[in-house]
Amino acid sequence: MGRFVLRRTAQAVLVVVAATALVFLATFALGDPFASSGEKAVPPAVAAANRAKFGLDEPLPVQFLTYLGNLARLDFGVDFDQGRPVSRMLAETVPNTVRLALVAIVIDVAVGVAAGILAATRRHSVWDVLVTVFSTIGIGVPVFVLGVGMVATLAGVGPFPPVPRGFTATVPWYREVLLPAITLAAIDAAFIARLMRGSMLEVLRADYIRTARAKGLPERAVIGRHALRNALIPVVTYAGVSLGVLFGGAIITETIFQYNGVGYLLSRAIVNNNAPVIIAVVVFSVVAYVLLSLVVDIAYAVLDPRIRLG
Amino acid sequence: MATATAITVVLTLAGCAQRSNQGVAPSTGPPSAVAFPETPDQPSVPGRPGGTFRLGINEPTAIDPYNVQESEGALVTGALFTGLVTNTRRGQVSPGVASAWSPNADCTQWTFTLKPGTTFTNGEPVDAAAFKRGWERTSAKDSASDVAYHLNEVVGFDRMQDGSATALSGVDATDPATVKVALSRPDCEFVLRTAHPALSPVPAVAGPAGNPTYNDLPIGNGPFRMDGPWRHDTGIRLVRNDAYGAGPRANLDAVEVTIIPAGTGVQTEYDGFLNGQFDWARMPTPVLSQARDANEPAGQWISKPSTSLTFLQVQNTRAPLDTAVARKAVSMAIDRAAITRGVFQGAQEPATSLVPALFPGAYQPGVCTACTFDPVAAKQLAAQAGLTPGTHLSFQFNTGGGHEEWTAAVKQQLEQNLGLVVDYSGVPFRDLLRNQQQPDATGLFRVSWGAGYPTAADMLTPLLATASIGAATPDDVATGDNRGRYSNPAFDALMERAAATQDAAARDDLYKQAEKIAVGDDLGLIPLFTRQQFRLANTRGFGNLNMDFNDNPTLAAITVR
Repeated sequence: MGRFVLRRTAQAVLVVVAATALVFLATFALGDPFASSGEKAVPPAVAAANRAKFGLDEPLPVQFLTYLGNLARLDFGVDFDQGRPVSRMLAETVPNTVRLALVAIVIDVAVGVAAGILAATRRHSVWDVLVTVFSTIGIGVPVFVLGVGMVATLAGVGPFPPVPRGFTATVPWYREVLLPAITLAAIDAAFIARLMRGSMLEVLRADYIRTARAKGLPERAVIGRHALRNALIPVVTYAGVSLGVLFGGAIITETIFQYNGVGYLLSRAIVNNNAPVIIAVVVFSVVAYVLLSLVVDIAYAVLDPRIRLG
Repeated sequence: MATATAITVVLTLAGCAQRSNQGVAPSTGPPSAVAFPETPDQPSVPGRPGGTFRLGINEPTAIDPYNVQESEGALVTGALFTGLVTNTRRGQVSPGVASAWSPNADCTQWTFTLKPGTTFTNGEPVDAAAFKRGWERTSAKDSASDVAYHLNEVVGFDRMQDGSATALSGVDATDPATVKVALSRPDCEFVLRTAHPALSPVPAVAGPAGNPTYNDLPIGNGPFRMDGPWRHDTGIRLVRNDAYGAGPRANLDAVEVTIIPAGTGVQTEYDGFLNGQFDWARMPTPVLSQARDANEPAGQWISKPSTSLTFLQVQNTRAPLDTAVARKAVSMAIDRAAITRGVFQGAQEPATSLVPALFPGAYQPGVCTACTFDPVAAKQLAAQAGLTPGTHLSFQFNTGGGHEEWTAAVKQQLEQNLGLVVDYSGVPFRDLLRNQQQPDATGLFRVSWGAGYPTAADMLTPLLATASIGAATPDDVATGDNRGRYSNPAFDALMERAAATQDAAARDDLYKQAEKIAVGDDLGLIPLFTRQQFRLANTRGFGNLNMDFNDNPTLAAITVR
């Protein structure tokens, strides 16, 4: 187990460095960020002064090594627009994204698993048909359609705050997070329901389930204790990866709901060509994803004694 | 036939390669038939204290005067600071901190007399030193300000920019009650520049431009002050400055500026107006008609002409557009009216001059004689200029700015009406800028421009003067705004004379002569469309709600009803 964690950490560092290099190159290819201001050309002397101020007058490899050195000290530099520390921008937005991701994942796992079990145990019933129909719709509808639809119909209604809203209107976090979380959860829940249904049906045909039933165990114990634990493995994989993606920021959903998370931060940085912020968010997303997949791998071993780490 | 042209445009938009065998006849109907005419200003009503005005803007680059640039920054900085003078949307200058101002005979020396006893909100005096301090902060090399060029006429500016001086030698603040400015070239309209928020006074506590405390919490002398620091990407709250001394006090208790994402900004403003969160909003072009129908009867629709112009930058020094005849052929082959109807739905108007109607003294509708659509004459001119069918013409625009539809229509019209092969490409804005600057650039580029100060000179000089090319030799990159490299000594001489002419009518006359040469005769650039500005405004809740020069609400005048 110790060796496993060590090896995976080393891999993770490699992945982060490689991803940083890629996004560094990509943002560099966008060209001189200081050559224009709005639609006006900036005088060359001013552009040069700005490039020097941000270290862009150095050769690219030097810039990259400097960046990695700073990154090791958790210093993400300052943004091109206003010279604000990027680490502070991340610190302001990451908690919001984590909150949104956790609420979304709780909703989608709860709804998805329940619906999947319902459909699998009452196969061919009206419940099964309903779950299949709704999960097909859920998977088919793109998140921006669902999000825009939610804003148009539900924002400002009941517990859901209006979008947009004046910044001085304070709304408790659980109300703010609700509608974007439901939007994110709807699609994942649909997928999890299908996954759960399929894997549950497979498990229910297994010999050990017949054994459990033959022993005279009540159906509740057969499903809850024996079938569920095995059927959950693919769901845990999917939910873990999905959580990793969500921690990296839900760009479209956060932007539609103007929810101040890392996804919204990234979408704004892309519109403004603000390279330091783009790089920082990508690095953060990669780290979050790599860490979550590590946790998922460890969770496997706990769920399934046949899987050994090492 | 006008319908036929409109249909051609629509077909182009739909991606069809439909072509007519016949030439297209000129559109009928006057080009000035705007779908959304200008609305009158709100009648002036007596103010009373109270109320909170709310609106959404994109995150500004800066609200600290030293780097204030786009209209969002101007909204906030303009509320926090009052410069030497203020101006209206139509360019009428009225006193700010200065009570009087005058140039010397050749307009190289300006003297501004300050109102006595006005202060910043921290109690520091607004004296001549405060202006000198602010201007030095904007022009210092270390500030690397994008808007330092507003001071480029002041003596000593170049030495501030290259870092060899720390004081702006052209500004004399020895008498606290008088700002004396020496200019390196005559400018009888210099006073207009002093209304720009980048030329605001700052208190001593501001420190250097890189002071993050002051950047986010500027202390000013304007009708409003900050209510806590700028919450980046979230909002800015302004409250009335009850100690305001440079003019009448504001009526509003507060202004709540919510920061909305740039990507979906216009739609978000509109949504916010509809759901009652905002009192002022832009709208996406597709909903303009509908929004106007719903809001104009209640007086909540504002429509104003602006100085914003879309034009085609022409590479004047390179074939195939290095002759006026060739440029006129291209211009006359473009049916502007069909595009404004088909693509812009009346939100833009065909342009027939470079100087906008907003500057009536110098405005010459129709000075661009080649701005009328005449495919027959265009063909003749093209033949004369050697623009034979099959000639390649490069045409670049920037992607992501909503220019795809109308540029495609222009391409299609040039191909259909002149038989040219248009090498048409969309590139990111930065690449477009770099490509335009290159010495070997040819053909056409999409560009838009708006005046930074309310004078015809800020349309003519930056875009057409030889000095604005910004290239020492034809083989250098053009770093100025005249990237089409138009150059005519007669035009330059007229603009220089205009800058040194005190009498407004005589000056306007020189502007007219200059525009007649550069646009009417030489067609150094091809004007296409002028833009209207539209807003939804909560005029039921607020009186005196009008649009200022930067297309922002007139915050200092607004009052609750």
